[in-house]
Amino acid sequence: MKFTFQHRFFRMGRWCFLMVEEDKNTRSLARELAFKAVKALLKSFVFYMLYLFVWSFFAQFESYVPGLRQTAENFVVVYLSLGVFGDIFSDTVFQCLFNVARALFVMGYLILSVKNGVFNLTYMGVALTVDLRFFLMAAVLLSLLGLAKAMLQAINYVNEKAELPFNL
Amino acid sequence: MDVSIRMVGLASTFFWILLVAFFASAAYSVKDLRLNFEKPQLRLTQEGYAVLSIPINIENGGFYNLGEFNLTTKVADLNGTKITEGSTLIPLIKKGAKIVAFHNLTFSVDVLLEKGSHYLFNDSSFAVAALISVKLAEVIPVQVSSNFSVAWGAPFYNFHLGRPTFEPLNFTHLRIAVPISFENHAPIDVNGEISLYMYNSEGKLVGQGESAIVAPQGALYTSSIVFYVQMLEITEEGFFEVYLSTPFLSYGPLVFPYG
Repeated sequence: MKFTFQHRFFRMGRWCFLMVEEDKNTRSLARELAFKAVKALLKSFVFYMLYLFVWSFFAQFESYVPGLRQTAENFVVVYLSLGVFGDIFSDTVFQCLFNVARALFVMGYLILSVKNGVFNLTYMGVALTVDLRFFLMAAVLLSLLGLAKAMLQAINYVNEKAELPFNL
Repeated sequence: MDVSIRMVGLASTFFWILLVAFFASAAYSVKDLRLNFEKPQLRLTQEGYAVLSIPINIENGGFYNLGEFNLTTKVADLNGTKITEGSTLIPLIKKGAKIVAFHNLTFSVDVLLEKGSHYLFNDSSFAVAALISVKLAEVIPVQVSSNFSVAWGAPFYNFHLGRPTFEPLNFTHLRIAVPISFENHAPIDVNGEISLYMYNSEGKLVGQGESAIVAPQGALYTSSIVFYVQMLEITEEGFFEVYLSTPFLSYGPLVFPYG
């Protein structure tokens, strides 16, 4: 009888201990998530400010190029979203996925929006042709660098996870 | 591994900033690029060519040099036949530079007249295809092209002979005065000579006269050519032949019947 009581008491204590531990873990996870979210928002805010600054240089072409602002804003929204998700899921494999997605998105969006790199526009009987192939080439190369970085991150992450049991 | 990934990230960010900053500033520089075409000037060469010279003022107030500025124009008549073309190349326009260049279009007036005397006596227009190409910051090629028409003012617009007056000079000869008039719509002064030949109904030359022309740009020219003929050779009907001669063109005959 005594044994049963003691056993029950012990089990109850252990349960309470586990509950407290779980509560601690949940709070820690929530705190970490909140921190990551704030960090991601701050980064996005800074990036958006930079975008607004850079946009001020291109604003003069807005009336001549229909849809220029829309194109730029669509790009920024998707780029920022992928960045935010990447930051929220940092230290997980999803961060690597979002980084790869972001690098691929930059490349794909640039190629699709600038097409073959030669930009044609007609305004009031005047035809304007801007050859952006140099810019496109540089941007694609830098995107490839970003893609390489994301791949390295993914390899590094998998490598670290694989090393974990041996370290224990 | 972490360090190398971080370095790759840093390098990528650094080059992205460089690229975007360069591209944005190059695009922004377009705002400070001024290009003005001044009033064209027409001059004549000793070889009988007319040279239309268009002064171009270029002011590069941007952040970068401009490379390979090229202006090409093609002038055609209303039927699309090429009359002339010209090209002006400026290899480098430094930042902050102000340049005046001349875009010259050379055309032979005689060739123009062969294609149609229409331009001599009637106002018309020419189709001009212009193409400007430049390398922004010496790297980004930009082309601007446009097709437009340029009004042509005829140097002998509305040329006609008035009713000739016949006055007896003596028992054998008549004094004939033939009024002539035209408007000079051309962008240059017309100075030269008009020769007039009078033929009777049998086609025999009965008299001739000449007169100097001084017709400033945009002016109405009126004058009379006076000459003397033998009374017996005159018939009720006949025709005049007119020859026009200026330093840049000779044209004739223009036939005007009388009677």
